[in-house]
Amino acid sequence: MADRPDDPNDPIDPFPTDFPEPPPSRFPPVGEEAASIAGVAADPVDPPSDWNAGADAHDLPLGTKRPGRWKALGQLAFPPPPPADEEVLAARDRRWTSRVILIVAAFMLIFNGASIQNWARQQAPNWFTVTVQQVADVWMTQVSQLGADKPRQGIRETYQDAREARFPGQGPA
Amino acid sequence: MLFPTLAFGIFFLFVYFTSWSLDRENGRRKVFLLLASWFFYAQWDWRFVGLLILSSVLNWGVAALIARNDNATQRKWLVALGVLVNLLILGFFKYYGFFIEQMADLLTRVGWERDLPLLQVVLPVGISFFTFQGISYVVDVHRRTTAPANSLLDVMLLMSFFPQLVAGPIIRASDLLPQFAKSPRLTREAATLGLLLIVWGLFKKTVVASELSVNLVDPVFFDPSAYGAFDIAAAVYGYAVQIYCDFSAYSDMAIGTGLLLGYSFPRNFDQPYRASSMQQFWRRWHISLSSWLRDYLYVPLGGGKRGLWSSSLNVMITMLLGGLWHGAAWTFVAWGALHGGVQVIERLGRAAFGGRKVIPTVVGVLVTFHIVCLGWILFRAETFELAWAMLEGLGRMGPLAVTTPFMLGLIVIGLGMHWLPPRAAEGLAVRLKAAPSLTLGLLVGAAFLLVEAMRPDGVAPFIYFQF
Repeated sequence: MADRPDDPNDPIDPFPTDFPEPPPSRFPPVGEEAASIAGVAADPVDPPSDWNAGADAHDLPLGTKRPGRWKALGQLAFPPPPPADEEVLAARDRRWTSRVILIVAAFMLIFNGASIQNWARQQAPNWFTVTVQQVADVWMTQVSQLGADKPRQGIRETYQDAREARFPGQGPA
Repeated sequence: MLFPTLAFGIFFLFVYFTSWSLDRENGRRKVFLLLASWFFYAQWDWRFVGLLILSSVLNWGVAALIARNDNATQRKWLVALGVLVNLLILGFFKYYGFFIEQMADLLTRVGWERDLPLLQVVLPVGISFFTFQGISYVVDVHRRTTAPANSLLDVMLLMSFFPQLVAGPIIRASDLLPQFAKSPRLTREAATLGLLLIVWGLFKKTVVASELSVNLVDPVFFDPSAYGAFDIAAAVYGYAVQIYCDFSAYSDMAIGTGLLLGYSFPRNFDQPYRASSMQQFWRRWHISLSSWLRDYLYVPLGGGKRGLWSSSLNVMITMLLGGLWHGAAWTFVAWGALHGGVQVIERLGRAAFGGRKVIPTVVGVLVTFHIVCLGWILFRAETFELAWAMLEGLGRMGPLAVTTPFMLGLIVIGLGMHWLPPRAAEGLAVRLKAAPSLTLGLLVGAAFLLVEAMRPDGVAPFIYFQF
């Protein structure tokens, strides 16, 4: 019987036992649940204890490899980005190519400075070519102190020896 | 401006970085590449840039008229006009002196000696290539195998694009115009292949071809009477290697440069000295020219549709004109006649044996190579007397004068290239594309340094520039 008209008819259970299904947590425990959230299929149910009695190694289940705990946590915190689009890939390839070309140019500038010197000496003298020649001379002096002209010289000397080789009894060219 | 020079290297670096900085604006990028191409061409003779522009405008205009016309007769007249104009340009600059000299000789022989208007016409470099490109564009639009270009800019760039401008490959509109329609894409694989082709081409041109030319081929062809059989044979083999390394090097560097700018060109050489017949040789040597001659000369003549004798005649005409394309001289015509004659014999042989293979491949390769070498004597010698002196010298014993172990080594290297895996550069590019930029940069830099250390100072122009 109710003392007041607005009292509920049924007394409130102080310790309820029947709860509705709670919503999925946004922060599940690390482990199997994390792996399933990260998009990795969970392993099938455990096989019976005698499952391998007559099994061949080739028949073993090839379930998807589960990522490690830390990797799963990492994937949870920092999900892998979606695949890059065409434009991003193209820009990446262009940058890579440009780096290769710049490295080649720098390499040649250091180890093949003699070519610039030779080129400048072959040009008709004018303000530009004389300036280039002077800069090239200074540059060659600097890089030769570091020994950067040695590889080119070494190859060239070996090559010249090969060029000058003659058959037995053959006169010089 | 030659490919294997420092000046071209600086020019290319500027073009590369500027053009890719404009990659989002395809129209501006093409305008920049066109201006760069004109600058490149002007390094030979700036006056001929006007000829290049005129030729492009004419071909674009004729093709546009053909595309807008549905009347079959008018379309035929228009395509004939387009071809004629191109041939007139080529004929004036390349063959005027030759034909006037022949005419003067003929008139003298029949007793009508006259003073004909002899002119010293300067041959614009690459004219044979860009006029053939123009003809193929007009004819393809007429045949409806190629859509007309979207703009005059595309046709101008097609005919002026600097990597292929002066010595081919002869790139057709159907290959390049679709690539011009959208912003190009540079992939790691294409860039790696481009760099490898440039290094490989540099090696072939500056080390193999230059050395053989200066120290073996040129002295012997200058005065064959001063040398014995071994030197002359070495010079002939050396020239076979030299011309292959020279011309294929240009094609490789052109294809490589095009790839780095985002455009792909068709292959122009495919290990030609592996050919076991002359027909196969022309499927492997200067492929863009041989396929051009097939599609725009041999097929319109009737091709192989009207039987064996007709097709043999068509092959002969095609090869004679192909020879004349290489230069305004009877030695080139004789060279074409040799190649045409051998192909006719091969056709007759195949017909006689019902297509059965009667010559083993090894024998076929050796025989074909030596016929090609015989042709190279005609190709290299400026006169028939000189060619005959070379052949006579093959029977005269004498000490080795210019044939050194090094020269023989270069000949072996040049011929050995033909037995590398057929797509070695492409295979290597696939493997190297995954390398970090630093690794690949150092590898390519070391390869450049190796070639630069070996090459002689200075560089001779490419042989095919004169054509």
